[in-house]
Amino acid sequence: MADSNDGSDLASRRRDSSPRRGGQLVIGKLKAHGEANYQFRAREDPSYYVKVLTSRGERTLWGKDLKRALTEGETRPKPGDLIGVRRIAREAVTVTSRQRDAEGRVIAQEERHAHRTRWLVEKVTFFAERARMARRLRDEQADVRESVRAHPELKSTFLSVRAAEEFAEKRIANPQDRERFLELVRGAMAGSIHKGEPLPSVRLREAPQREADTPQPATRKHGEPTR
Amino acid sequence: MTDQNSAAEPQPAVALLDDPATSTWLKSMLQWALERDPVDALNDALELAGILEERLRREFGLDELP
Repeated sequence: MADSNDGSDLASRRRDSSPRRGGQLVIGKLKAHGEANYQFRAREDPSYYVKVLTSRGERTLWGKDLKRALTEGETRPKPGDLIGVRRIAREAVTVTSRQRDAEGRVIAQEERHAHRTRWLVEKVTFFAERARMARRLRDEQADVRESVRAHPELKSTFLSVRAAEEFAEKRIANPQDRERFLELVRGAMAGSIHKGEPLPSVRLREAPQREADTPQPATRKHGEPTR
Repeated sequence: MTDQNSAAEPQPAVALLDDPATSTWLKSMLQWALERDPVDALNDALELAGILEERLRREFGLDELP
C-alpha cells in the first residue's frame, strides 16, 4: 500500500498545532498492531496498522512497511512498550488500484506510480540514544576516543569523519571551504543517526606495506578484515 | 481493591489497581482521579500526559535538529 493509505487518524487533535520539522516522531504506548484492510474497511487493500496511545489520544498509523519496521528493528517493541514511530523515507512504487462492483468483484483496474513510506518503529529509548550519539558527533570539541568508548557503535562513523577530514586536508585549499565541507559531512551523519537510520559500517583494512612487514599466521583467511 | 470500589469502577481501572506491576504512583493517581468529576479528571490527565511527553522530548533531545 502506498502513501494513499499511509495516513493516520487522531482521536483528538488537541494541542496538535505544533508541527515539527522533518519526520515527526510520534510517541506513545504501543497498544496493538497487525494486518488489516486499510482503515478496517473490507473493500480497501490489505495493509498494516499500529495503534499508539499518545498524550493526545489514540492514533492508528497505516502502512505496509510498518510490519517490517516492527519485526526487523533494533528494539522490536511489544504491546505495552513506550515507542516512537517516525516516517523516514518515501520509496517509489507502482500501485494497482481496483474498482469493485456492489458484490466486491473487480470491474476495472489501473496502475499508477506512487510512494511507499518507510517507517522506523522502536522503543523510545532507542531515539534518546541516537539523539545522544548525534550530539557527540556534531560536537567538534568532543574527545573522539572518549566518544567511541561511550558509544563503540560510533567507531565506523568517526572513521568516516576522519576520512572526510583527510580528504578535505588534501583536496580543499581554502580553510573556510574546508570547514564548511566538514560541517556538512558531520551534519549529514548526525542527521541520519538522529533519524534512526542504520549506522555506517566501515571495514578496516591494513595498508599493504604493513601486511608485508608483519607476517600473518597461516590460519588467517585471505581478505578477512583485521581489527 | 475493595468490593465496594470494584462495583463502581470501570474494569480496566480495577485491573490496573489489582496488577502488582502497576507503579505506586499510577495507582495513587488513579485512585485519586476516580474520586473526581470524570470530565475534570480526564482533562487534567490529558494535560499531564502532554506535559510529560514534552518533558521527555526535551530531556532526551528527541526533536533536536541536526
